[in-house]
Amino acid sequence: MQRKAQIKVDKLTYHYGTGPPVLKDISFEIEKGECIALIGQNGAGKTTLAKHFNGLHRPSSGKVYIDGTDTASMKVSELARKVGFVFQNPDHQIFHDTVAREVAFGLKNLRLSPREIEERTAAALEAVGLAEHRQTYPFNLSKGQRQRVALASVLAMRTEIIVLDEPTTGQDFRESVQIMEIVRKLNENGHTIIFITHDMSLVARYARRVLVLCRGEILADGDVRSVFAAPEILKKTYLRPPQITNLAQRLGRHSIPPGVLGVRELYELLVKMRREKIGCCN
Amino acid sequence: MALLEIENFSFSYPRSEQPALREINLKVEKGEFIGITGPTGAGKSTLTYCLNGIIPHFLGGSYQGRISLGGTSIFDLSPAQISRLVGSVFQDPEAQLISPEVEQEVAFGPENLGLPPAEIGKRIGKALELAGIPGLRNRPTANLSGGEKQRVAIAAALAMLPEILVLDEPTSELDPLGTDEIFKVLDILNKEHGMTIIMVEQKTEQLAAYASRILVFNEGRIALEGEPRQVFVRRRELEEIGVRIPQVARLAGLLGRYEGCALPLTVEEGHLYLESILRG
Amino acid sequence: MAAVTEYISRNSPIHRLNPLTKMIWALSILGMGLLFNDYRYLLALLASVLLVAAAAGVLRSLLPAAAGLTVLALVLLLVQALFYGQGQVLFYLVPISNRLAVTGPGLLSGLAMAARMMALVLSFLIFLATTRTRDIVLTLVEKLRVPYDYAFMFTTALRFIPAFLSEVRQISEAQQARAYAVEGWNPVKKIKAYAPVAVPLVLLSLNKADQLAMAMETRGYGGGRRTCLRESKMGTADYALSAFLVLLLAGSAAARLAGYGLM
Repeated sequence: MQRKAQIKVDKLTYHYGTGPPVLKDISFEIEKGECIALIGQNGAGKTTLAKHFNGLHRPSSGKVYIDGTDTASMKVSELARKVGFVFQNPDHQIFHDTVAREVAFGLKNLRLSPREIEERTAAALEAVGLAEHRQTYPFNLSKGQRQRVALASVLAMRTEIIVLDEPTTGQDFRESVQIMEIVRKLNENGHTIIFITHDMSLVARYARRVLVLCRGEILADGDVRSVFAAPEILKKTYLRPPQITNLAQRLGRHSIPPGVLGVRELYELLVKMRREKIGCCN
Repeated sequence: MALLEIENFSFSYPRSEQPALREINLKVEKGEFIGITGPTGAGKSTLTYCLNGIIPHFLGGSYQGRISLGGTSIFDLSPAQISRLVGSVFQDPEAQLISPEVEQEVAFGPENLGLPPAEIGKRIGKALELAGIPGLRNRPTANLSGGEKQRVAIAAALAMLPEILVLDEPTSELDPLGTDEIFKVLDILNKEHGMTIIMVEQKTEQLAAYASRILVFNEGRIALEGEPRQVFVRRRELEEIGVRIPQVARLAGLLGRYEGCALPLTVEEGHLYLESILRG
Repeated sequence: MAAVTEYISRNSPIHRLNPLTKMIWALSILGMGLLFNDYRYLLALLASVLLVAAAAGVLRSLLPAAAGLTVLALVLLLVQALFYGQGQVLFYLVPISNRLAVTGPGLLSGLAMAARMMALVLSFLIFLATTRTRDIVLTLVEKLRVPYDYAFMFTTALRFIPAFLSEVRQISEAQQARAYAVEGWNPVKKIKAYAPVAVPLVLLSLNKADQLAMAMETRGYGGGRRTCLRESKMGTADYALSAFLVLLLAGSAAARLAGYGLM
C-alpha cells in the first residue's frame, strides 16, 4: 500500500526574477507527523524552499503539492488553513495592542465564530505559556516572549503543517529550549513540523529527519543520526555536527558509533563500556 | 593599573523600577578576552552601552559608581572622545552599516575624527587586513554575507585604533560559517595583536574555547566569574541561571573524574580526556 | 523596483564624469523639458536621455523602471488627450454616445507631457545609477557647500529605499501567511487594511533608525570638524561638458523666447 505524502515537492526550480536559480530541481516528500530540520548556510535556499509550502513563492518550474493538491491552484490565504508559518522576526507581524488580539488576527481572517476565536486564542496562549499576558501590550514583552506570541498566533490557526524559520535566533538558551519544547509537543499532537535552524544541537535533540541544503540543492536527506554520522558531507557546506557527535566520532576505535546525538547518550555508552571492560578484567 | 575598572557600578533606565545593573565590580587588563553570557535582560547589553558611551549620551538613566578607562572616568568624556577609546560592534549586521560601500564605511569614523586623508587611507588598509577582508575594500556592502558585514563592522571599529573592542552578540544573526569567521578574527586580534576584547555572546561553546575569562550575568549582577574552566564546572548554578554548558563539559560533569586534569571544554580536550579515562 | 535608486557598477565614460557634471546634465534636461512643449522637441530630449543611458551601459538595468514609467506615461497621455478639449475630434472613447472625445492636438499634447515626464525621471535615475553615493555626498559637501549632515541624510534616505521595500515585502508575507487578504473595493476598508503592514513597518523603521544612530555615535559622528578620504575632482571633460550644457540651456531659452518649440 502506498501512503500519500502530505507535502510533495516535484522537480522544483525557483529563481527571483531573471536571476540565477536559487533552488535547482529539488524533489522530496514529507509525510504527516514528521519533524524535519532544514539546515544549510545562509543563502542555501532554506527560506525560499519553505515559502513554497504556503504559496508565498511559486515554482518557476516543477510542482509543490499539499495533500495532493497543486499549490499553484491555491491562494496564500487558502493555504494558510493548511500550513502555518512562523517567521524569524516576530516584529514583522505583531501590530495589535494586546497579545490576545494579535493571536486572534489569523482566526478572524479565517472568519471563525467569536466563541471559537476566544476558545482557540486562550488555548494557544496556554500552549506557549503566555496565558497571563492576554492583555499585555506586545512590545512590553521580551523578544523571546514576542516570538512565542507569533508562534501562538500561528498555532491558533490549527494547521496540520507548521513551518518555523529560525525560531530560536536571537534568543537565549532558556527561551530557545522553551520554544523547541512547544514545537515538540505540537509534533506529538500530530502536527507536521518543519523548522529551519543553524543550531545543530537543537537539530539533534528535536528533529527526526534532516534536509541539508547547499546552493539550492539537497546535499543530504535522512534521519538525523545517519546525516550527522557523515561529517564529511556536512563539511561541504561548512556545517558541523554537534560538539558531542564530533567527540564521539573521534572515539571510533573504541567502537563508539558515529551517530551519537546527545550528551546523555554518549555518557551511557561510555559507562556501559567501562562496565564491560571491568567485567572482562575480573 | 587595569585598563578598564568598574567600581560598584549600578544603573537604572528611566521609568524602570528594577536597576539594569547592580553593583558591578570588574577589572580588565590589557590583552584580555572577556566573554560575557547570561539570559536576556540580565544587563549584558546595558554594560556594553555604558562602555561605549551610548549610556548616558544616547540613552538616559541614572547611575552610581564609577567606570574608568585608562584612568579617566568614562562619563566625563564626550562621545567623540569615547569613540577613540572603545570600538563597538552591534548585533544586527544590516542596521549598523552606515555607508553603502566598504571603504566609505571604514573611513566614516576616522573622517569624523578629522584625520588627514592619507592617514585615513592607511588606517582603512590596516583595519581591513586585521579583519581578514582586504579584498572587500571596493565592494558595496549590500551584497556581502552576514559574516563579511560583521567583519566590516569590526574593521570600522578598528580604524579608530581603540584601546578596547566591545561586541554585543555579533554572531547571533549569523550562520555557522559566519560565526566561525568572527571568532577566528577576534582570536587573532587578541592573541597576535594584543587587542582587549569584551564580547557578549550566547554561543558558549565557542566562547569557552576563545575567551580568557567568562562573566555570567544574571539579574543585573555578575553571578559567576573566572577562567572558562572555573565557570563551566559550576553546572548547577549555570543550569539554574539558564546558560548553555558546552556539551563536552557536560559529559565530563556526568563522568566526573577530571580532578587530576582540568575540565575539558573543546572537542580536542574532550578527546584527550576520554582517551585517558578509557585507558585507565 | 528595489534596484531603481541603486548604483550600477560599470566602467563607462559617463560613470567617470564628476557627479557635478551629471547633476548639471540632469538639471539641463529638467530646464529644457520645462521650456518646450512641442512633442517633437520633447521626444528628441527623451531620445537623448536614452542614448546617455545606453552609453553608460545602464539602459538594460533601467528597463523595469522605464516600463513602470511607461504605464504612468500612458495614463498621463490619455488624461491629457481627453481633457485637452480643443481641435478636431479623432475618435470617441465611448463611440455610441459620443462621449470622451480624443482630439488631435490633445493627443500630441499628451504625448509631449508623457515624453517630458519620462525624460526628467530617467535622467535623475541615470544620475543615481552612474554615480556612487560617496561621490554624491562629496560633491554636495565640497562643491555645493551643502552641510555634511544634510548630504548624509539625503544619501541615507536613498539607501534606505531598497531596505524599506524589502521590509514591506517581509511584513506583508508574514500577514498573508496568517490568511490575511485585502478584498473588496470599500475605500475605508482599504485604508484600514494597511494597518497590518504599516504598524510593524513604522516600529521596525524607528528601531533601525535608532540602531543606525547608535552605530554613528560610537564612531565619533558630530564630534567636530570632519575630513574626507577622497576629494571631488573635475577633469577637462567635466569642464568642457558642463560649459556645453550651460550654453545649450541658454541657447534653448533663447530659442524658446524666439518662439521655437511651442505648440
